[in-house]
Amino acid sequence: MTILNRFSGSGALGRHLKPAHAKPLTAAGGVLAVVAALLPWVTFLLGDGAYPAKATLQFFDAPFAVEGYRLHVLLLGLAALVVTFVAKTPGRGRVLRALGWGVFAISLISAVFITGRGGGLGAITAADGVTAFGSIVGVVAGLLIVLGAKAGHLDDIPEWSTDLPRWAAYLALVVAFVGVLYLVASMLTAGGTGGASNPYAGPIFLAFLGMAGGLLGALNGLGVVRWISALSEKHRAFSIVVLLVCALALPLTSAGNEYWMTVATTIGVYAATAIGLNIVVGLAGLLDLGYVAFMGIGAFVAANLSGAAAAKVGIDLPFPLAALLAAAIAGVIGAIVGSPTLRVRGDYLAIVTLAFGEIFTKSAQNNIGGLTGGSNAIPGIPNVEVAGTAFNEPITVLGADLPGGVLYYFMIVLVVGAIMAVFANLKNSRIGRAWIAIREDEDAARAMGIKTGKAKILAFLAGATLAGLAGAIFAHKLSTSSYESFKFLESVTLLAAVILGGMGTIPGAVLGASLLFVLPEKLREFDEYRLLVFGLALILIMRFRPQGLMPDRVRRAELAGETAGGKSIEEEEELVVEHEHEAPGPKGGKA
Amino acid sequence: MTTLLQQLANGIALGATIGLIALGYTMVYGIIQLINFAHGEVFMVGAFGGLAVHRWVLPESFRENWYVSLPLMLLGGMAVAVAIALIMERFAYRPLRNAPRLAPLITALGVSIVLQEAIRIWFPNADSAQPFPKAFVDSQITIIGLGPDGPEGDVSIRASQLLLVVVSIILSVLLQSYINRSKMGRAMRATAQDPDTARLMGVNPDRVIVLTFVLGAALAGVAGVLYGVDITNVDNAIGFQNGIFAFTAAVLGGIGSLRGAVIGAFIIGLIKTLGGQYMWGGTQYDYVWIFVVLILVLVFRPQGLFGEAERVRA
Repeated sequence: MTILNRFSGSGALGRHLKPAHAKPLTAAGGVLAVVAALLPWVTFLLGDGAYPAKATLQFFDAPFAVEGYRLHVLLLGLAALVVTFVAKTPGRGRVLRALGWGVFAISLISAVFITGRGGGLGAITAADGVTAFGSIVGVVAGLLIVLGAKAGHLDDIPEWSTDLPRWAAYLALVVAFVGVLYLVASMLTAGGTGGASNPYAGPIFLAFLGMAGGLLGALNGLGVVRWISALSEKHRAFSIVVLLVCALALPLTSAGNEYWMTVATTIGVYAATAIGLNIVVGLAGLLDLGYVAFMGIGAFVAANLSGAAAAKVGIDLPFPLAALLAAAIAGVIGAIVGSPTLRVRGDYLAIVTLAFGEIFTKSAQNNIGGLTGGSNAIPGIPNVEVAGTAFNEPITVLGADLPGGVLYYFMIVLVVGAIMAVFANLKNSRIGRAWIAIREDEDAARAMGIKTGKAKILAFLAGATLAGLAGAIFAHKLSTSSYESFKFLESVTLLAAVILGGMGTIPGAVLGASLLFVLPEKLREFDEYRLLVFGLALILIMRFRPQGLMPDRVRRAELAGETAGGKSIEEEEELVVEHEHEAPGPKGGKA
Repeated sequence: MTTLLQQLANGIALGATIGLIALGYTMVYGIIQLINFAHGEVFMVGAFGGLAVHRWVLPESFRENWYVSLPLMLLGGMAVAVAIALIMERFAYRPLRNAPRLAPLITALGVSIVLQEAIRIWFPNADSAQPFPKAFVDSQITIIGLGPDGPEGDVSIRASQLLLVVVSIILSVLLQSYINRSKMGRAMRATAQDPDTARLMGVNPDRVIVLTFVLGAALAGVAGVLYGVDITNVDNAIGFQNGIFAFTAAVLGGIGSLRGAVIGAFIIGLIKTLGGQYMWGGTQYDYVWIFVVLILVLVFRPQGLFGEAERVRA
């Protein structure tokens, strides 16, 4: 409770702050963060997992053996101190703000978890003659840094020159992508697999996310993120190759076992689907609430064409052919479902697609035409095989032993890579610009000579094709295909992934899908509350960061009102997914 | 013939439930153009509110007499539903009043998930269907002699079904006259037509919007309790399904039109029961026919049966 009070107090406090307060505040915060990292965090022994060992009094025996989340607090605190006293740091205010939020998030997550485990505030304060104020000091430190940053001046994000010799640019890109690979691998494995035997997975993972968020925010404030993305735009071919190599190298990192390969493959499947949905919702602005049905269609088609014993259609096609057919059939059905878009707009379109999704689920559940197996699902879909090697077997490449399932992972990486390469420039293509024009104002787009009907159906077709392809891979990887995997909630989750990542950007869709489909793996212990938290998260994202984590530049301006004036309401009204048609309705007049 | 009459009766009773929910959808949409996805969950929460009153508030002796327990349960259901609606309007929707339309729609989905999960987790044993007290005359009206096949040919209507239909019609009429006659009703109509001009005329739009949510939630609360009494068990999924039916009814009738919502609801109720009886696939697919109708209506007559063409804001 104290934490919450302090937190809510910060807003009122913020108004009385002057720039002169900035330096003392951030310096104090930085020192406190360092102190917090060296203080004990719990007053009791939590068992013998990774988390408690790092969080008990035993730590006093070796005060500098700080590791895990406390190491992160220490490093972020030191970084804050350095930035505070190096006056020339570009984008100093933003960097400090991000570091402060990072310290705050790590401390708060750990404090809440320890309090919950330890049965009350005593667990993070004092009990049995033992004191442990580490988490509280950490939370305060984080808030002080944030306050200090806000008291100072928030400069614009600096622009760095991309005019580098080729080798330097390549070097920077390689370093950046290897860093990303390292971050992804650590993130996947942070805390290990969630579950009853490892309840620490969730908090450790979340604290890690807090650290990663603080770090990336700080890099963004420095202008590094923007610089790297500008560099990769400039050297597109090279970056795609490096990115691909990095992704393929994931099995060689700490994430290289069968379990994480399976998780990574699933993420890849949902990422491919999210990219498809991103075309429909993010680019063309057609809100689709039944999108996962196309993935389901792809999965069931693939199941029926791959010689699964339980399938009704007993055709046994090689995987590439089955996958292509699955994608094509899903695409055609997508175009058919999309055809009402010619007449229906906005909210109503959302409902039509939702209705379609429900019809699909219900039909699949009732085993329509014997094609879907109903509640028995279609089990026993054979593994994909190349040259006698099934894709779920471990393999050895150039002397490196790779875990089972790694071939599926390679396949999905290549598929997602290919999709990204094809669609990366989509926004700027003729059809991409047509979609964006439709999203912004359909009537104006039509007046400009865009064939809106054709363009909208094409968006549905493209999106559904990608989902169908992803579904086919999904079915083979899981070796079973059940209607349970393609329900309304999955559609909402995919939509949330696209929105969380930032609508209209492909990396955003991949990022959103990764976060939303890793979290359940980590938070197994809290499975009971998973959906509740998901629902709350949807509400909070819409309230506080509707533009997502990696917003599209145009959309960022529209959604966050970052345009010059504060008068963004009218613009925002136009932005979205729907537009007035016919005469302005009751609320339609643009005031 | 008997089957047909029986299904007609069932369909009308179902339509009465859906109608009460649909009124809330159509009012909110009429005023702020928000598809309040969570409205179905308000209905569900209302049912659980009534159940809670019966379980923990009413003394043993009251429970026996339906004319004591039912009104109290209705009050409890309404109170809970209204409280939830107020909270969600204030904290979820109001901050997004001027946001792009996608934002409140996603928020509504979030609210819907939160309410379902909150009931499942925190209402005792609500992870499975809960028995609901039959707090009404437990009898059936049997109409004999309509079928040629003797007693099996009878059409029977539960008293609770009749209650649903009667209450639903009375409340719709009351609501209609409130909106047409009262001062606040006029303010609501003005806001629906043109919020900016209404504000200039001294209407406080916040109050109107809150009132809209309260009225809709109260009706949904009544519907929830009466639904529970009729079906005699409830779970946390009744809101989603009936909510979608109600939304379909509101669209079918012409969203924004009260009369349309009620008539649309009866049509939807009949489609479900008759479709389940006579169409291909039987009751397993009754759900599907409703969505087929929804799609057809939206594609060919998006303004619905009673909507005015210019007011369609899709």
